[in-house]
Amino acid sequence: MKKMVTEIAIIGAGPAGLCAAIEASRLGAHVTLIDENAFPGGQLFKQIHKFFGSREHMAGTRGYEIGQMLLKELESTDADVMLGSVAYGIFDNNEIGIMRGTEHIALKADKIIIAAGGKENYMPFPGSTLPGVMGAGAAQTMINVNRVLPGKNVLMLGSGNVGLIVSYQLMQAGANVKALVEAAPNIGGYGVHAGKIRRAGVPILVGHTITEVYGDGHVEGAVIAALDEKWNPIPGSERAVAVDTVCLAVGLNPMTELAWMAGCEFTFIPALGGHVPMHNENMETTKQGIYVAGDITGVEEASSAMEEGKLAGIAAAAALGHLDAITAEGRKQEVRDRVNALRTGLFGERRRMAKETQVRAMQEYMETRGERIDG
Amino acid sequence: MAEGVRFTGIPSAEELAAATGIPSEERLKQGRVAVIECVQEIPCNPCESACKFGAITVGKPITNLPCLHEEKCVGCGRCVAMCPGQAIFLLNYNYSETEAEVSFPYEYLPVPEKGDVVKAVGRDGQYVCDGVVTSVVMPEAYKNTHVVSIAIPKEYINTVRSMKHSADADEAEAPAKKDTASRLVCRCMEVTREDIEAAIAAGATTVDGVKRMTHAGMGLCQGKTCERLVARIISEKTGLSMAEIIPATKRAPVRPISMGVMADAAEQQN
Repeated sequence: MKKMVTEIAIIGAGPAGLCAAIEASRLGAHVTLIDENAFPGGQLFKQIHKFFGSREHMAGTRGYEIGQMLLKELESTDADVMLGSVAYGIFDNNEIGIMRGTEHIALKADKIIIAAGGKENYMPFPGSTLPGVMGAGAAQTMINVNRVLPGKNVLMLGSGNVGLIVSYQLMQAGANVKALVEAAPNIGGYGVHAGKIRRAGVPILVGHTITEVYGDGHVEGAVIAALDEKWNPIPGSERAVAVDTVCLAVGLNPMTELAWMAGCEFTFIPALGGHVPMHNENMETTKQGIYVAGDITGVEEASSAMEEGKLAGIAAAAALGHLDAITAEGRKQEVRDRVNALRTGLFGERRRMAKETQVRAMQEYMETRGERIDG
Repeated sequence: MAEGVRFTGIPSAEELAAATGIPSEERLKQGRVAVIECVQEIPCNPCESACKFGAITVGKPITNLPCLHEEKCVGCGRCVAMCPGQAIFLLNYNYSETEAEVSFPYEYLPVPEKGDVVKAVGRDGQYVCDGVVTSVVMPEAYKNTHVVSIAIPKEYINTVRSMKHSADADEAEAPAKKDTASRLVCRCMEVTREDIEAAIAAGATTVDGVKRMTHAGMGLCQGKTCERLVARIISEKTGLSMAEIIPATKRAPVRPISMGVMADAAEQQN
């Protein structure tokens, strides 16, 4: 086993991890950025749509272009980037077990930032394991990264921004989206994303679900049904649609395995995707020296993940003495203001309140414990 | 069916009337002007800086609805391409004696060409009338969003908002239903909902307990797909809240790795 050391190890080179690496490295910290994929960028390179937010959040720029900009910035730093490297565990004394091909590495870090991202929720129904049923995120990777059309006629389940955006992109890639089905009585995502697919002729059926998918070795049809107020299918409302692909956009949840393993304390917040690690306003968890950033802290979107990454990067570098406390606090507050601007309005308010609950849970935990557990 | 953007994805007449980005009837009749059909408070303001004439303001907080200052709008169409929500259109009531011109963002292939006759559609994607493409522009600043303009009869100026991007989808009937497999909750270990319910009936009340009895979550993905589903079934059957049902204990390796490499490493150490 190869032994390595670094000041700050960052697990995950998506939007949060990249931003953390850039910030910490620019402040003079020795940074090692680890990602299991062959290329850094996480989900940014499949986001071909223009981002929301304001100029400082790079609004109006397509996700993959933001990814290219971040990679260029990363190249200008001294950060070590380990690709094709699987972080399979966090052990005592902040040691990360890494597998790079057939090479086994133990990386010891003063600070660890976990930016592992999120994963798609799955929904079981008869036929949900047939080839042709897939996560909407998987379909998005196929069309935008691998340039492969998953099917010709698609049924989308879920009207959050993922379901709406991926429906639009599937049509851009040449597929027909036959309908978008949403169990809730209203559309979950932005009206403007819904408007794009409505103008393209896609019906959005709220208060409906998929009860069954069928086919001979591959999806050939799906049964959809209307739901009553108690979310039960209304008998007689079932109808079959001819589709060869069914995409599930039924939410995401944080990829928290490494944080659990490291011994971080968790709190349960449904609005953020379930169990999430407690963290303070510096993104540091109940385990001293272990920080979290991005979807692992609660599922949001790439723009807030980037800001959280910057916050964790600055905080970790400052904790190591690369920045004086007063300057650091100023820099961190700028980032907090930017990320909070994203958590406002009709859709953001609920997330802002959820994030406040998360930080308060940490405060209460620390007060009860009296002090932080040593890493 | 309930009306309004939250239910249909289409702003209702009331929502549009209440929006701050819609030009007055008088301004519309004067010629080229932007119409901003943005009716939800979302954190977004690129339209503000897209307008070089100060005709669009959002201010702070950035969730404010964009406000159109119609007297300043010159009808350049830059905002049409820059709105990430594609909610801005350009209307020219005075295109000709009988026709108006509608411009909209367009990100499909093939890109139409000037002179093409296209099927103009409304906010619901339904055919309204034929339109003739009058221009297709995409300067670099538009970042790969084309702005397509089409001429249509004047009466449809408030209806037409896009064009059909492909031939009509095939309306094939769904094939007859076939028997499908039972519901797998853990795909890696092929554990069904019934297996999990049986384990709960036999006394398992934790994700770890169900895992020991059924092997759900012991496969390649280590429960990444099924763990939450198992938790939900436990919650349904026992009445425990989701907050009380903690995920299975996490141990290395949390990702699939080669055990051979681990074995080699262990041998080297001995």
